[in-house]
Amino acid sequence: MSKRWLIVTTVLAVLSLVLAACQPQEVVKTVVVTQVVEVKGTPEVREVVVTATPKPEERKLEIFHWWTAGGEREAADAMFKAFKDKYPDVEIVENPVAGGGGVSHRVVLQARLSAGLPPDTFQTLGGAELKSYVDGGYLVPLDDLWAELKYADVIPKPLANAVTIDGHPYTVPLNMHIQNILYYNKPLFEELKLTPPTTFDELISVAKAIKAAKPNMAPLALGAKEKWGAAFVFDSILLEVGGPEYYVKLYKGEIDVKTDATFKTALEKFKELIPYINTTNPGLTWDESCGLLVSGDSAMVIMGTWAIGYFKSRGWTPGQEFGAVTFPQKPERILLFHPDTYGLTKGAPHPKTTMDWLRVVASPELQIPTDVIQGGLFARIDIDPKEFPDPIRQELMTYVRENPTKLILDQHGSIAPFSFTQAYWDAIAAFVVAPDVDATIKTVGDLFTTYQVKEGAAWYQWP
Amino acid sequence: MEKRTIRFRLGETLVFLGPLLIFLIVLYGMLLWTIYVSFSDWSGTAPNFRFAGLKWYQLMVGLDRFWVDVRNNLRWLLLGVVPTVIIALFIAYLLEISPIRGIEGYVRTLILYPVAMSFIVTGTIWSWMYQPDKGVLNTIFRAFGLNFLVSNYVNDPKTATLWLIVIFIWQYLGFAVIILQSSFRTTELQEMVEAATVDGASKLRILFDVIVPNIRSGLLVLVSLLLISTLKVFDIVYIVTFGGPGYSTDVLAFFMFIATFQQHLVALGAGLGVIIFLIAFIVVIPYTLYAFQRWFE
Repeated sequence: MSKRWLIVTTVLAVLSLVLAACQPQEVVKTVVVTQVVEVKGTPEVREVVVTATPKPEERKLEIFHWWTAGGEREAADAMFKAFKDKYPDVEIVENPVAGGGGVSHRVVLQARLSAGLPPDTFQTLGGAELKSYVDGGYLVPLDDLWAELKYADVIPKPLANAVTIDGHPYTVPLNMHIQNILYYNKPLFEELKLTPPTTFDELISVAKAIKAAKPNMAPLALGAKEKWGAAFVFDSILLEVGGPEYYVKLYKGEIDVKTDATFKTALEKFKELIPYINTTNPGLTWDESCGLLVSGDSAMVIMGTWAIGYFKSRGWTPGQEFGAVTFPQKPERILLFHPDTYGLTKGAPHPKTTMDWLRVVASPELQIPTDVIQGGLFARIDIDPKEFPDPIRQELMTYVRENPTKLILDQHGSIAPFSFTQAYWDAIAAFVVAPDVDATIKTVGDLFTTYQVKEGAAWYQWP
Repeated sequence: MEKRTIRFRLGETLVFLGPLLIFLIVLYGMLLWTIYVSFSDWSGTAPNFRFAGLKWYQLMVGLDRFWVDVRNNLRWLLLGVVPTVIIALFIAYLLEISPIRGIEGYVRTLILYPVAMSFIVTGTIWSWMYQPDKGVLNTIFRAFGLNFLVSNYVNDPKTATLWLIVIFIWQYLGFAVIILQSSFRTTELQEMVEAATVDGASKLRILFDVIVPNIRSGLLVLVSLLLISTLKVFDIVYIVTFGGPGYSTDVLAFFMFIATFQQHLVALGAGLGVIIFLIAFIVVIPYTLYAFQRWFE
């Protein structure tokens, strides 16, 4: 008797495992079937649709985002509170896979998308990252929603371009992070009677003055462990040496770096700056590099708007302990930016609820509390800049309102494809440790061809 | 009665075959799948299984980063295994012949502790210790005036990988000592050591001429396990340097992760996986076979 049971349970166990292994594939099939029906499919699948359509959609929103760390968690809560206020009946299912934050967010999301089990909506940066999802066919164009909300009229044109591919907007941006900001230790600058630099030459002379007064200090802090920190500094030099048109052309792969004089000049200037940068940079993350200002080991850092939140968490008040200027402001004041955005996935289980969500994402009711906490600027330029508690973002927002075209995609928003950008960051981070101009020119030049930047970045339109 | 026995055997067979089958499907199925993907043209977020031949392998061998990785992986294989075994051998022997009774247990616990910790924890601690300006190592050296020992550790691209390997050796030492010590403790070997002692052999001579030739099985297991651990190294690099400065401490497993999930070049990532597998096939498996042969001689 017991032996027979043993056989039965074993067979069942094996079968259930085999079935479990088959499950995702079955779901994939279902998704494909629904799509076939939409373009009028074969008669036998029509049955599936008949049972599916009369069922009212569940009020549920499955969402993937990476705002799980301190400060960002509060921003995510503010975001969901705004949504709940408008639609109290919706159940929000966040990051259903444990450990889905940050880098692992992309790993889990990639797996879910390619298995044909998409969440309703997910966080993505505008630019190259968004384009990779659009190329994969995972997002639905949102032309109707944008028209309904007249969203293109209330956000800057470059921001709309950052989420528009082949003429279709694919996501709704809710903020803009600005990359090229130089933060400085205000009391120290007052003590040494220095003005915050807005050009490369001023940066060098300020760095010299600080080094002379405080020999133990590394005037400019850098954290290049995540690699992009070094590219931030280099971007600001490129922007000044080449100007905005050059910057865009470079990352669109339209410049032959190997023979280009501007790129070489920019690298040489960067080399000139390196003695004023902390030698510990390869081991520091971005927040640790900002920490060097607080600990008094450095006086300046070039970092995005998200650093404001970090300084505040260390007890520094904007305008008192630290100040901020856009860097550089020559030949003109350009803000390098990237947005956080949400879209609607193809085959989303709850498309109607998702559209409601996207309407809220586009609204000031969500953007004001979320962006104030999380650290970027508002995507909408019709919101009063005075909503920001700090003078830094009030000033930046006012500038964007008055000059909505002075925005270009940054390293994270990435004009060039991500395959290139990742490798490019490595090359620039390596340059800080061993500044070999000719070798770096060759490396970067090769990267442009290896990763076919010209084809991959052709979608980006600026201005 | 007869029938029941047969059924019982069938059941046993199923119990045995079921897991084996699943194991084979999962392991070798995935392996074949990875090899297949490495020949496809999958770049981007959407799967693309169109055959692309050696396209991504050609791109791979054209990348400087790939060759840096291969070199670093070989360094790990050599420098992660040999010093660990030699140091562990001496420590294990010293513990065996220690004149102070009872101290052995404490020392063994002490050196076994690192094994119990995750690389995430030890990696973070070591990266603090390695900090050039405020790290504990340089601070101690400066305090004692030993300025020639002050170093940039993992921030110096030339030596960074070596400092990472030091962490590995430290972490695996206790484990190696335990394995070697247990292989000392066969009655046969103990008798040989006693005989050698009676004959008046020195302690060092006993170690090299009596113990080392007779602990082949222990060494075999230890070296195999260490080879596998160093070949698949990922976490130390991820935590301490993230492959930096630049990509000077990068290893194949880390590049595989970057290529697949950051660069979205899935075919390239799969190709790197195949290369890791090939290194395992060329280095680790022949060694194990050779060691087994020697063992059974």
